[in-house]
Amino acid sequence: MKATELFNSESHQWIVLGRDPAKPEKIIDTNQYLIKSAEEAIILDPGGIELFSPMLAGILHHVQIDNITTLFASHQDPDIISSLGLWDKTVPNAKLYAPWLWEGFIRHFGMENIQYMPIKDEGGEIKLGHAILKFIPAHYLHSSGNFNVYDPSAKILMSGDIGASLEHGDVPLFVDNFAEHIQYMEYFHRRWMPSNRAKNNWVARVRELDIDMMAPQHGRIFKGEMVAEFLEWFAKLDVGIA
Amino acid sequence: MISSHQATMAINNFVRVANIITNLDTILSQAKNLSLTAKNARVVALRAGDAAFGFKPITNFIDEFSTQTIKTTSEISKLSNQLFSLALAVVRCTDLQHQLNKANSIKQHKCIVTLQQQSLCDLKQKTRALEQAIFSLESYFEDIQKQMRSAEYIAVTSRVEASNAGEFSHSLESVSDFITNSARKIKTAVNENLQEIYELRGALR
Ligand SMILES: [Fe+2]
Ligand SMILES: [Fe+2]
Repeated sequence: MKATELFNSESHQWIVLGRDPAKPEKIIDTNQYLIKSAEEAIILDPGGIELFSPMLAGILHHVQIDNITTLFASHQDPDIISSLGLWDKTVPNAKLYAPWLWEGFIRHFGMENIQYMPIKDEGGEIKLGHAILKFIPAHYLHSSGNFNVYDPSAKILMSGDIGASLEHGDVPLFVDNFAEHIQYMEYFHRRWMPSNRAKNNWVARVRELDIDMMAPQHGRIFKGEMVAEFLEWFAKLDVGIA
Repeated sequence: MISSHQATMAINNFVRVANIITNLDTILSQAKNLSLTAKNARVVALRAGDAAFGFKPITNFIDEFSTQTIKTTSEISKLSNQLFSLALAVVRCTDLQHQLNKANSIKQHKCIVTLQQQSLCDLKQKTRALEQAIFSLESYFEDIQKQMRSAEYIAVTSRVEASNAGEFSHSLESVSDFITNSARKIKTAVNENLQEIYELRGALR
């Protein structure tokens, strides 16, 4: 599993883990994000069962297991959180922040020890060391209970399935040519995202935020002006095509 | 260390527990039939009066052991929830062991080794609890087995009594047939379960 640092400051650090060369071919590739402060760490969208062992091995490069205090699941999908039953035994004292809507469903992945912290529809925020992480509502994009994570000091928006791209081969970490990149995103967004109204809502909300990097759960990360380009493209896109 | 073969074994154990629990339904419904038969037979014996004098204590017997079997079966049902959750815990622990071994082969780290030790401890503890539950289960099934042995004995005795009951012979004979039949079905189900338990034990060892 490859790990790349996205942000580093005195208070905390963002690391993206993914592009695991040992990943079985038919499994969709995912980005997992680790945010760590001096004593605490959170894993955003920890991933599926198949990814648990490379993730654990990858994460231990950066943090002590006891420092993993928090998990976050943007929504209920298996590629997001089906590893929960294994994390539950590995970090039994951790808390899982996830949409309140999905609690009864996510618990099916096996949760005896970790504490479920339901996020209200309006969103919320938590502290990680000195850093503040905001849960930004992204409902119906694509899941009916769904959140992004925004870090105002790092200016990173972890956007979950929004901005996801499906590309094969050795995929670079960042989008370099937006027009070229559209082909890998278009079908995904039009087919998976059900609602133009929810989409426009989200675009308006996110335009208020100061964002340097938009980091999705699949594919390349948007940096600098690519973020604005994405928002403009997404605002115009007609979704819910099936 | 846990191999994927052992992981499959843990799942197989889960299937065995499921089989045992499915068989409980057969045992319970046959035991309920037996209890019903005892009640009907008592009515027939009363009507037959002196002709079926020897039959009355027999119906009491049938009633007694069918009630006992129903009771034992419901005790087993209570145990079955525990069995399922323990078998599931063993599957989960085995899975975690498997994943930790993979993680360790990617990167050797003292944290992973500690986790491996902890989860192995956990696995051993859950396996022991499962063994314990299986042990109680076995003794319950042995109880039922004993009850069925007396049921068969009673079926033979009742047949003798039935043949002396004059015009009631026919209906009383069908009672003993019924007992023989039910007892045989229950015995088969219990034997299957004892076999599953035996294999489960072997697998856990
Ligand atoms: Fe999803
Ligand atoms: Fe996804």
